[in-house]
Amino acid sequence: MRILSLRRAASLGVATLLGLGVAGALGSSPAHAKANSQVSVVHGIPGQPVDVYVNGKKTIPDFQPGKVAGPLSLPAGQYDIALTKPGDAVADALLTVDDAEVPGDANISLVAHLNASGEPALTPFVNDTGKLAAGQARLIVRHTAAAPAVDIRAGGEPVFEGVTNGKEGQADLDAGSVSADVVLAGGDTRVLGPADLDLKEGTATIVYAVGSAEAKSLDIVTQSIDGLHSAPGGVPSGDGGRADGNGSLPWYGVGAIGILLAALGLSRPAHARLLSRR
Amino acid sequence: MTSPSGTPRIRPGRALLLVLLGVTMTVVAGVGACRSQPADDFGAPLTSPSAAPSAPARVPVRDGAPQPAAAVDVPSRLRIPALGLDAAVDAVGIDASTGDFAVPPRVDRVGWYRYGPGVSAAAGSIVIAGHVDSAAEGKGAFFRLGSLKAGDRAVLTGPDGRHRAFDVVARERYRKAAIPLDKYFARDGAPRLTLITCGGPFDARTRHYRDNVVVTATARA
Repeated sequence: MRILSLRRAASLGVATLLGLGVAGALGSSPAHAKANSQVSVVHGIPGQPVDVYVNGKKTIPDFQPGKVAGPLSLPAGQYDIALTKPGDAVADALLTVDDAEVPGDANISLVAHLNASGEPALTPFVNDTGKLAAGQARLIVRHTAAAPAVDIRAGGEPVFEGVTNGKEGQADLDAGSVSADVVLAGGDTRVLGPADLDLKEGTATIVYAVGSAEAKSLDIVTQSIDGLHSAPGGVPSGDGGRADGNGSLPWYGVGAIGILLAALGLSRPAHARLLSRR
Repeated sequence: MTSPSGTPRIRPGRALLLVLLGVTMTVVAGVGACRSQPADDFGAPLTSPSAAPSAPARVPVRDGAPQPAAAVDVPSRLRIPALGLDAAVDAVGIDASTGDFAVPPRVDRVGWYRYGPGVSAAAGSIVIAGHVDSAAEGKGAFFRLGSLKAGDRAVLTGPDGRHRAFDVVARERYRKAAIPLDKYFARDGAPRLTLITCGGPFDARTRHYRDNVVVTATARA
């Protein structure tokens, strides 16, 4: 009986451990699993509202050109993405991308745009969400228009030169407002802008050139990612020394004199007694 | 005045007086030394995140047109009745040469960190830093910042002339090398006012204080 009950206890224990183990495995993701990615969707095809399907599910209905949707929080993996005219079936999609790879723990912009030859395309860009130094802002520009190579200028000075469709440039700048325009590469023929961009501190401002040069539908779409700020390096706020916390030094002096006086007072009667004993 | 034996005699009263005086001085000095130590820290700054918005049913969609710069939310004055302080507030950023907070050079003015939350912010830490003193101008607006107590009031005046009151909940002192600045410059969490100055021992050679004194005050409902 005793052996049996022990055995039963043991098996119960094993079952419990297994149960806990399984529950633990289910409850917590494995150590190597990555965090979800944040996926924004940018609509840069002029004149064509769409429904966006992700893995066959309508995710962004009636998505208008010039708008930015999301971010969606998606686990790493492969996704089937389709764009349809609003209300159309997925089978009649305008544009489909199967098995689009979404890495883990990334910030991604999925851009519906025209390629260099004016065909609709869906291009993923990975956004740099690295921390910015205090006082800085990040400017990212992306050429997603049916247009030739361009220069992007800020305050009249070229910042990014010779950018072609599907390419991007980025720079960390002092936060503030800049007047930006887009010209044909190497020249002064303005194709876009000027537009005032508020480059907010601690924020990435992403500017997409969209549309078609031929159809005269070039425009810009902007997206911003905040929360990239850092604290200042320090707060130096005094060089006079008047507020030194060590104001107790004079008191130590007074205390020392007091102890000396007390010692003197105590020693004198003893001295007198010695004298009187003679 | 002399004893019968002819030797000079010290009256015990005089010796007693000396002893008493000495003991009194020692005690007074002890109390003084203790009182001149900076007061202990109290409280903890709020870092609890603001309530997370519930998951939206629909994917949020925003317009991609360039956004104009948001209206400035600059405080114009800071008043702390307990210190008799009423100081002008400058909007300041970063000292480009050091990467440090650009505290206004004039010691009677204080600086609001213009990249962080503004006076009417619904979340995050509104940061104002001021000089404790300067070699050139003497005592600064925040000379006695470290003597603030829990419950003391600080009032910011907004650009519209309206006031926003805050109650002191914490005072902390950190070595500059160890101060958790990210916490004090957070842009999320409960709305609060963070006041920063220098303190602690002064290094006369480098002309720097060792510590920062930080007072946190929560927005009144």
